[in-house]
This record gives sequence, structure tokens and C-alpha cells, in this order.
Amino acid sequence: MADTNFTKSSTFSYIILGCILLVLAGGLVLLPKYEQNEGIKPEELLSRAISPERYISTDEVSSIIINQDPSYLLIDVRDEESYQKYSLPNAVNIPLAKLLDEDFEGYLYQDEYDVILFSNDNFYADEAWIICNRLDYPNLRVLKGGLNEWFNTIINPTKPTSTMATVEFELYSKRKAASMYFGVAYPEQATKEAAPIKKAAPKKMVVPVKKKKKMPAEGGC
Amino acid sequence: MGPLIPNGVIPDEWNYIIAILIGIFFGFILESSGFSSSRKLAGVFYGYDFAVLKVFFTAAVVAMIGVLYLDYLGYVNMSELYVHPTYLWGAIIGGVIMGVGFVTGGFCPGTSLCAVAIGKIDAIVYVVGIMIGVFIFSEFYTFFEPIYDGFFYGNLTLMDTLGLSAYWIVFIFAIIAIVAFVATSFIHKKVKKVFY
Repeated sequence: MADTNFTKSSTFSYIILGCILLVLAGGLVLLPKYEQNEGIKPEELLSRAISPERYISTDEVSSIIINQDPSYLLIDVRDEESYQKYSLPNAVNIPLAKLLDEDFEGYLYQDEYDVILFSNDNFYADEAWIICNRLDYPNLRVLKGGLNEWFNTIINPTKPTSTMATVEFELYSKRKAASMYFGVAYPEQATKEAAPIKKAAPKKMVVPVKKKKKMPAEGGC
Repeated sequence: MGPLIPNGVIPDEWNYIIAILIGIFFGFILESSGFSSSRKLAGVFYGYDFAVLKVFFTAAVVAMIGVLYLDYLGYVNMSELYVHPTYLWGAIIGGVIMGVGFVTGGFCPGTSLCAVAIGKIDAIVYVVGIMIGVFIFSEFYTFFEPIYDGFFYGNLTLMDTLGLSAYWIVFIFAIIAIVAFVATSFIHKKVKKVFY
């Protein structure tokens, strides 16, 4: 008698368990589907976005170009036409619209160089920065102020007035020297010898990063 | 967030420690559900005991549902989980050998070690047999290699081959599991009781 009771109650609990299993499995089918985001978390992106590391100044970029620092890669995110008209020396053109093309992934997703993105101002470059950072591409920076700032500070630096601090004058002379490197001629120096020969930095080869393969765990019965 | 160790939530050094702990629990549960008895294990082939089928089927379905819910809620990234690669003929031949070994010996590799732990002599013989098999395989590896490495189809899943979503597959699987449980308990009632 007791045995039959036990069998009955255990059968009943099996039915309950079976129902729970079915409900849970059916719930999966019925759950509203959503697109899962790829890439880093929003909090992480935000903390990267507000980091001052994100920008690089025109002065730093000019000294990088002049010193032919091989660890930087300049990337112009404007369209090709603008790139043909003017760009920074040795810059690579990756138009914003084609940013995620597979051909360009090797330039952006690599660990060899620090990438400096620039456009006319920093808006397009910022867009590119956000997109690439969302995908967790490393070592990306944006040229603060873009090419406009480049013109205002490096190519055509404003002469400080006589009441300004000494540092301003030092900065001005540095920028002026830089602008001469980039081919700007100043009338007061016209008597001097020819402009310094622009040395071309060697072409950059890009070795794409091998995507980190996580060591899979193996298992079995 | 997950998987925990590859994403650095748990340091990599804990990998083996956790593996050992899980292994101990796995062995304990195998033994306490009677899986260290070759008669019980072989029962699934003769129809007098379906514990093996029920336990492993339940484990698979519960794990599938659990992983999918965790993925849905964003705790585990399913794309980062390991998917066993498919070597078609290697899997078929290996499966046949494993199945024959299971029927004749009454153990699968995991449960045989469990049974060795409680001192079953047949299990000791079985494990020695496994060792001999491993030795033969290693010695003739160059001969077996074309099958072992060949017919590679990548990390296939049922989702890829059937073109169904994971949720439907799990649902269908859950139904199959429950049908199998009901069917096996009917068979169990019909088959003459075996005392073991």
C-alpha cells in the first residue's frame, strides 16, 4: 500500500518536473528576440570616450611626422577626393563610409602602430573612433581639431603679440619651423638656401593582429 | 560576462582547480546514482534499466536550456563557447567502437574510472583495456591519421546543419526527451525484472 502511494507521488512529481522542463524550453521559443550587441560594453566605451588619451594635438602629430616616428599610422577618414587634394604626409585614406571594409581592417585592427584618425574637423574622425572602439580595436586616437586645426596651428601659426608669455613665442617658433618643414616659405627667410628637402618616411606595412583565439576547453563523458 | 575564465572574471590559475572540483562532484554524482555498476549501465541496452538515458538526456536538456537563458540574459556569450569540431568518419568509427565497448564492458570511460575508485574488478580490467587501446592508437597513429584528421567539417552545430534557431532545437529536444522518458518507462514495465 505504502509502495503504491510512493510510486504515485513520484509519478506525479515526474509529471510536474516534465511540465517545468517543457515550460522553460517553450519559454525560450516564445521569448521576444533581440539583436545582441557585438563589441565592448557601453560603460567601457564611455570611459574610453571621456579619457583625455583619446585626442592627440597637432603639435604632437607634427613632431611625429618630422621625426618620422615609425610607430604611428595616420588615417584620413575623409572621402577620396578631399584626400587627393590635401592630406598629411604618408596618411592612409580610409573613407568613413568604407571604415568597416575588410580591406581596411588590417590598418585599424592591429597592435603594431598607434592609429591617428583625422578629418577636416574632429567630428568624422570621432565617429570613426567610436565605431572602431565599439569593436574593441586597440590604440586609436583622434587628431584634435582635425586638418583645420592643423592649418591654424602648424601651417599658418598665428604670431603671438608682444605682450604674450615667452612660452607662446617658443611655441610659435617651433610651429613655424614645423611649417617650414611642411613647405611653407616665409619672406624673411627668402634669402636663405633652398627649403629643406622633405624626406619621405618609409612606407608602412601593416601586419594584422591575429584575432585572439580563446583556448577552448575540451570535454567528454 | 561569461564564460568566466576566458574573460578573466576568474583568474586563469583557477582553471585546473575548478576542473578538479567539478570532476570530483561529477564522479560523486555518477557513483551515487549507481553509475559505477556495469549491470545498471548495460541495462539501457537490454531494457531493464534506463537510468543512463534518463540522466544524460536530462543533463543535456537542462544544460541546453540553462545556457540559452544565460545567453539571452547576457551572462554568457554563447559564441565564445567551445564547439566540438566534426571529423565525420572519425566520429562514426569512434562512436561504433565506443558503443561496442559500452555494451560488452558495461562502462563508458568516465564511469569506468568511477567504478575503479570503488574497487570494481571488471572496471579495472576495462580501464586496462582503454590503456591498451590508447597504446595501439598511438603506435599506429600514422596509419589512423587520415581518418583522424580527415573529413573535417568545422565546428558544426545542429543550428547550422538544420538551419533552425537554437531555441526551437532545444524545445524539440525537450519534447523528444520527455517522449523518451515516457516510452522507456513503458518498456521498463514490460521487460522482465532483472535483479542486480
